[in-house]
Amino acid sequence: MALRGLKVLELSGLAPVPFCGMLLADFGASVIRIDRPDDRQNARLDRLARGKRSISIDLKVPKGIEVFRRLSSTADVLIEPFRPGVMEKLGLGPDILLNENKGLVYTRVSGYGQDGSFVKKAGHDINYLSISGLLSMLGRSNQKPHAPINLAADFAGGGLLAAYAIMAAIFERQTTKQGQVLDLSLAEGSAYVSSWMWTSRDLPMVWFGNQRGENLLDGGAHFYDTYETSDDLYMAVGAIEPQFYKQLLIGLGLDPNDETHNQMNIHEMKKKFEEIFKRKTQKEWTEIFDKLDACCTPVLNWDAACKHEHNQDRKNFLFTNEKQEQPIPKPAPRFSASKLPAIDRPAPNSGEHSAEILREIGYTTEHIETLIKENIVQSSQLPKSKI
Amino acid sequence: MALRGLKVLELSGLAPVPFCGMLLADFGASVIRIDRPDDRQNARLDRLARGKRSISIDLKVPKGIEVFRRLSSTADVLIEPFRPGVMEKLGLGPDILLNENKHLVYTRVSGYGQDGSLAKKAGHDINYLSISGLLSMLGRSNQKPHAPINLAADFAGGGLLAAYAIMAAIFERQTTKQGQVLDLSLAEGSAYVSSWMWTSRDLPMVWFSNQRGENLLDGGTHFYDTYETSDGLYMAVGAIEPQFYKQLLIGLGLDPNDETHNQMNIHEMKKKFEEIFKRKTQKEWTEIFNKLDACCTPVLNWDAACKHEHNQDRKNFLFTNEKQEQLIPTPAPRFSASKLPAVDRPAPNSGEHSAEILREIGYTTEHIEKLIKENIVQSAQLPKSKI
Repeated sequence: MALRGLKVLELSGLAPVPFCGMLLADFGASVIRIDRPDDRQNARLDRLARGKRSISIDLKVPKGIEVFRRLSSTADVLIEPFRPGVMEKLGLGPDILLNENKGLVYTRVSGYGQDGSFVKKAGHDINYLSISGLLSMLGRSNQKPHAPINLAADFAGGGLLAAYAIMAAIFERQTTKQGQVLDLSLAEGSAYVSSWMWTSRDLPMVWFGNQRGENLLDGGAHFYDTYETSDDLYMAVGAIEPQFYKQLLIGLGLDPNDETHNQMNIHEMKKKFEEIFKRKTQKEWTEIFDKLDACCTPVLNWDAACKHEHNQDRKNFLFTNEKQEQPIPKPAPRFSASKLPAIDRPAPNSGEHSAEILREIGYTTEHIETLIKENIVQSSQLPKSKI
Repeated sequence: MALRGLKVLELSGLAPVPFCGMLLADFGASVIRIDRPDDRQNARLDRLARGKRSISIDLKVPKGIEVFRRLSSTADVLIEPFRPGVMEKLGLGPDILLNENKHLVYTRVSGYGQDGSLAKKAGHDINYLSISGLLSMLGRSNQKPHAPINLAADFAGGGLLAAYAIMAAIFERQTTKQGQVLDLSLAEGSAYVSSWMWTSRDLPMVWFSNQRGENLLDGGTHFYDTYETSDGLYMAVGAIEPQFYKQLLIGLGLDPNDETHNQMNIHEMKKKFEEIFKRKTQKEWTEIFNKLDACCTPVLNWDAACKHEHNQDRKNFLFTNEKQEQLIPTPAPRFSASKLPAVDRPAPNSGEHSAEILREIGYTTEHIEKLIKENIVQSAQLPKSKI
């Protein structure tokens, strides 16, 4: 397992933190999700929990805090999703936990960061994106900005960037023997992941003007966009380079030598392409462009992508145990040497592994029973002696 | 530096590979971009090269391949962007390089992966997205799918996922002492980063239907979308939870007790919100919502985000040396202990560090001069002895 031996504590919360935990778990880390008794609803809705274990602790009482601190004293990574100050109020701030475990990588994922004027404000992916500057770039021409679901801030600039940074901190820890605090703002993460949108602004062949949706890669060109087919599906065209554009024209039945068909004649060619693509089905276009190197591919529906020949060859979708009818994407990339855990591991119920986890860190059976009895710790299974 | 000591070779190419190299360089790794003499145009257009060094080698001749192999024999990471088979044809395939350096993490980033029916086809971000299933989910209702520039496949599922996987392989290498091959398909990476879009499909409060743009987070509701203001700017609304939605209504001057204003009355409330937001400027709305916890924030333009008070507090944008008028996002997250290199380091010219790099790996001055004279290696600077 690539990350075998890495011990991660994840405080349950929305999107970015569970996704970070999932990335680490998928690559072999041991991830424990720390649930709270008043949070069972969120635990049930967690769809990023495969392969994790769950302990449920009441963090509002000192004995629960004790249990947590004992857990974190031997962990490598902690990931917390709360608004700044919440961990401190619980008595679980970085000063305390790093003092007890100087190797801990204490990862704080928040919308706006641990300080700044927005620090206490609630928000979601779309709000973090709005402050970052990135949202102003996303969406079609002459339309209001449109966030790509919650990919940009929650997953890309959030969970995935956190996972990368955590591994970088773990790398440094080898030499320094020290952990540290990572302060990830989702707003900043999404901007940083999109750095090129900023650093490439001086390239006129990429950014035609300052308008959203009117540039090379955001729908401003007829040779980089999607088109509707006769059967209400779509083809995707990404024929930027002249040699691919030429093949594209050929596939569409247009004369490459006709000057009016050139890449600069954007407005007219958009209409032409729209009209031509509507004449055949997605399947027919796919067959035509299979034979050409024209950067023209079918837009596969999310639940049908698994059926495409290429995806079948690559075996990159998997049916999970729980939902036989729904495919899910497998982890990427492929590791030639590291074994990765099976992706169809079950998600834990809240508190499903509480007793087991406490035993691992040295609690006696009696002490565990007391903690459960006093509801400091919750267990979704009764200990054997109580049956 | 978080990644001090990590030696990375990056074969120059488009987007995902330079971005991966940039992430590693930004966190302190030593990244050498390997340019080719016939590729200088791409090197000049590379906007992800800050802090990297460049050696330029003619890889079409055996003596150039020799230089490359000497470089890779002491590297930790190699990242290559070519279509499957190109490295093998050059005599630089994983079998050869891993045989000479069993620690090497040989990272192959391609659109469709190293095998499968599409492996040899050209494409761009929009094509990889189309095959992944993700593109079918992106865009507004009743419109064709719309890719978010090249964020999803090139940067998120590409460069950033590669960086994370590389660090996971480096972690495992500590115990196994072995490198390996990472096969990253951008199509698969973008799907994997978006896993939640698949795994959450059974949640009716997130996915209302199977239609793009008609769900909770993709513009299907009035309380999670953007709205135009009187001055042609926009506000972003992300008020999912009832307590935030109530504050939103109050800020908009709508009675929270009026049943017709509830969250389920989507169609009518969309129109109402659109009409109300158009009555004030972005600045006025921002002031109103600064005082409320309503998940309502201004959509800052990409070049104006740096002026917002919160971003000023966080100091998360920087003017670069080369373009005083242009801002770039600073790396995220903040590391409390690791020092990161300055983000405004210059990008290298093609071959700017050829001589220096060859000296570091043990070439004599005479040998270096010979390689340059024979154009095996190109140098953007004349060696001192020739001046």
